[in-house]
Amino acid sequence: MNSSSIYRPAGFDFSNEIRNNFLHEKGLPLPGATSTGTTIVGCLFKDGIVLGADTRATEGPIVADKNCEKIHYITESIRCCGAGTAADTEFTTALISSNMEMHALQTGRKPRVVTAMTMLKQMLHRYQGHIGAALVLGGVDITGPQLFTIHPHGSTDKLPYVTMGSGSLAAMAMFESSWKPNMEREEALTLVKAAIAAGIFNDLGSGSNVDACIITATGTEMLRNVEMPNQRVQKERDYKFRRGTTAWRKEDIRQLIVQEHTKPVGGDEMDTS
Amino acid sequence: MERIDFDRLKTGEVNLGTSIMAVQFKDGVVIGADSRTTTGSYIANRVTDKLTHVHDRIYCCRSGSAADTQAVADIVHRFLQSEAQEREETPTVHIAASVFQKICYGNKDALSAGIIVAGWDKDVGPSVYNIPLGGGLFRQPWAIGGSGSTYVYGYCDATFKDGWGRDETVEFVKNTLALAMSRDGSSGGVIRMCVITEDSVQRLFVPGNELPRFWEGQEVLGAASKKIGSDVEVVPMAVEV
Amino acid sequence: MTSIGTGYDLSASTYSPDGRIFQIEYAGKAVENSGTVIGLKVKDGIVLAVENLIHSKLLVPEANRRIQTVDRHIGLATAGFLADGRQIANRARDECASQRDLFSRGPELKTIVNRLGLYVQAYTLYSSVRPFGISTILGTVDKNGPSLHVIEPSGVSFGYHGAAIGKGRQLAKTELEKLKLSELSMSEAVLEAARIIYLVHEDAKEKDFELEVSWIGPESNFTHVHVPNELYKEACTKAKAALETFD
Repeated sequence: MNSSSIYRPAGFDFSNEIRNNFLHEKGLPLPGATSTGTTIVGCLFKDGIVLGADTRATEGPIVADKNCEKIHYITESIRCCGAGTAADTEFTTALISSNMEMHALQTGRKPRVVTAMTMLKQMLHRYQGHIGAALVLGGVDITGPQLFTIHPHGSTDKLPYVTMGSGSLAAMAMFESSWKPNMEREEALTLVKAAIAAGIFNDLGSGSNVDACIITATGTEMLRNVEMPNQRVQKERDYKFRRGTTAWRKEDIRQLIVQEHTKPVGGDEMDTS
Repeated sequence: MERIDFDRLKTGEVNLGTSIMAVQFKDGVVIGADSRTTTGSYIANRVTDKLTHVHDRIYCCRSGSAADTQAVADIVHRFLQSEAQEREETPTVHIAASVFQKICYGNKDALSAGIIVAGWDKDVGPSVYNIPLGGGLFRQPWAIGGSGSTYVYGYCDATFKDGWGRDETVEFVKNTLALAMSRDGSSGGVIRMCVITEDSVQRLFVPGNELPRFWEGQEVLGAASKKIGSDVEVVPMAVEV
Repeated sequence: MTSIGTGYDLSASTYSPDGRIFQIEYAGKAVENSGTVIGLKVKDGIVLAVENLIHSKLLVPEANRRIQTVDRHIGLATAGFLADGRQIANRARDECASQRDLFSRGPELKTIVNRLGLYVQAYTLYSSVRPFGISTILGTVDKNGPSLHVIEPSGVSFGYHGAAIGKGRQLAKTELEKLKLSELSMSEAVLEAARIIYLVHEDAKEKDFELEVSWIGPESNFTHVHVPNELYKEACTKAKAALETFD
């Protein structure tokens, strides 16, 4: 663009298009949507559902948030773990949560997990996979404990134990080897923690801490950071040098605080009576 | 003959690379399917139920994209419920199949769905309709579908006979699916079947370790048991185990 | 009509204090003044017959039909305003087409009658429209055998063995009741239908009329068509002969 910076015509400016195409042809990849590596799981036990998630959020190779929350609120007795594009999981679960509340108010009944599942699958299918949300939906309703996975294109599965996200293979290995029907609450929680830990330690996209959520007919227990296997420990050595280690030749102390004097110009002071 | 066109699936889409089947017999239909759902090379669900209820005596077998076929089956299910209310009688299999066909053909560019609709109604008794990828509608005495079906067309042609009873038909479906699942990498797991008759819908389940077994090739690796020549000693080829 | 002029008869959207809608009843009057239409459901088919009153000697015979076909196997005849009859037939054709489109199969008469009933009823709800001035007889033969229905201006519909609407309906109904409809053959039904139409026309002898008869059944390959010329002529001759012995 060689026009003067003072005058710009109204409307879109396509002057960078040629440059961008040139760079693209030279092999510069187009910027892609951010997708989070994640491990999320769900597990059926005797009286309810345990959901689990790691707490790492990534932007490509960078850890964007070391302790984020991936277990989202849908209703008091229905929760949803999200993997995939962070913003998409955040906003779809928030929207469905809102709609579920409205639905509950309108029907005067406690909402069911299948209702949330149907809302989510219909929305994701409508967007043909462009909403990158991979979800584990769990809860307890009038029909008992329910557990579903929902893929970004809108397909659903109903299973007694499920995993999703980049760490799903590591987590599924734990379930496939150790899950059994009618487990006790503590047993199930231990298994979920082990599954998330498997994701945290074996999958690059997952990391930091373990969140868990236990949902039964009597109530929901959100266990935030129930396991913190990656705490920073006290460093064994440090790089602090003894005062006076470095010699100096000259001392010059400057006043860095800006002084400002205000001189009234009007004459009379303001009348504050 | 149709194949599941994998290129039509969007990347990362959940796929029912499947073996599905439906066969009619005198009193009803037997439908069956494997249980494998895949995303790429990962088995997302090894105990999937691909036999989907759409009305009291009408079921469908789903193949192709899991998301698309679930959405279509849900729409048809809802439609048949309101249709049953309005007509004050249960809809026929033909009506269900026509609605499936209408959706599959009308959205053929956006869908990857190969569906077999089967069931019993009081108009014609048992019937099986095949709705392959392009959205055609074909009534057949038996239909197979999904990626695994291509391996067993010959078996079905050679084996199927008119006038079978319930048990023979169940055996036919079970054997066909076991053969398809053994050759097709995208099919596997367990066999689920449904026997739909006027009086009931009965579910059958064959666990993965109880599938019918056919020739699996032990003879190739074993030593030759018969001498071919009279005096020439045949030495089996060395095989590393 | 005791309440004429009290203001409750001006709109289809206003009830009278005793719960009637006069506009619908007036629409019924329009039907009563029309030439008689009858329908017979017999052993294996349907026969429709119309007393087509001729208001001008300049009209070409057989060119102004009142029995219409709405689908291959569905016949429709109306009594009342002819133009409303055309409208209802077009609507019926649309309904049939949409059913065919959706289910890839010929429509069931029951569904068509229900939907037409809803359509007619919608015209009794608004002050901006007038109710249909017709009663409609629909007949078909399908996999469930023959069936015959009548839709009235209010939108209600009934299934019948034998139906009669229009000016001569009372006499026609009496005659229909004398018949053993379920035992009649198609040809016998045509002769009876013609006889009844000629009979009820006696009350309006001064007007000319043209008999119109159609049928659906094995003889017509289960499609709705007017009866063959030979049978039609035979029916007219026998009907006229019967009239002379009737008195």
